[in-house]
Amino acid sequence: MRTVTLVMLLACTGTPSIYAQELSDIDVTTKIVAMEHMWSQAYVLKDPKALERILDDAFVNVESDGKVITKADVLAEVKASAVLQVLTESMVVHVHGDTAIVTGVVLIKGVERGKAFAQRERFVDTWLYKNGQWVTIAGLVTPIRE
Amino acid sequence: MKTMGLWLIVVCALSLSVSTQEGNEGSAATAIRAREREWVVAQSRNDNHALDLIFDDSLVYVEYGRLVTKGDYLSRIKRAAPQLSQIVMEPMAVRMFGSTAIAVGIYRERTVQEGKVRVRRWRFVDTWVFKKGTWVLVAAGAAPLTE
Repeated sequence: MRTVTLVMLLACTGTPSIYAQELSDIDVTTKIVAMEHMWSQAYVLKDPKALERILDDAFVNVESDGKVITKADVLAEVKASAVLQVLTESMVVHVHGDTAIVTGVVLIKGVERGKAFAQRERFVDTWLYKNGQWVTIAGLVTPIRE
Repeated sequence: MKTMGLWLIVVCALSLSVSTQEGNEGSAATAIRAREREWVVAQSRNDNHALDLIFDDSLVYVEYGRLVTKGDYLSRIKRAAPQLSQIVMEPMAVRMFGSTAIAVGIYRERTVQEGKVRVRRWRFVDTWVFKKGTWVLVAAGAAPLTE
């Protein structure tokens, strides 16, 4: 339930055990943010292998048109990606024990059928600590109308 | 999962097929389905107290590309002007991951604005976490289905 912004609070509150717990959540946050960036980079590099480990086999994502895609769909999408750049504008992680929720905004730029595009999207992803590692089990992405 | 506003709900979602589906699932998945229905009912009644118990304090809800917190959601429900709307839940899939559950489904929203009836279908994905003896909603989002 804590966010990265709570880091500052650690400096002035809590017992050593609470401090350790907060540090643990910060570690989780750092890991998950790194994996979110890996996810974005997989699209830029057209590298589905990078996502094999990150996406749970039961992963589902709700797209902006309401369609549900699976892990296999994402891997195929990455392989044929038209994305050239993903800029993360914001990202917040909430940790709930073995579950973490990430929300953020990304600006995606690319070229599709010869046309340049830029799309700002808000996402919400659910991560789960499973078999000793964090994997994402669900997500949703919606375009931000300017 | 649901859009804002004061909703009048026609609860007609409990078809035989859904009942059968639930009968074949674990009790946790059944509990999640029940929580989803509680959410719809609480919202239809502008029951912020019930919603407060359903939503985790750190709830993040994404709608129309916007991020809505629990506080935002509850305050909007509180001051929502009455409008004639209906939400009909279609069957949903619930996946259990220990003390975490993912619910994915569709709901149909019928709104009346300026005398015009509009029906839209939304796909939602909700994340529930078992905390302090109950399932609470920690994340949710919905996207309009393009048909």
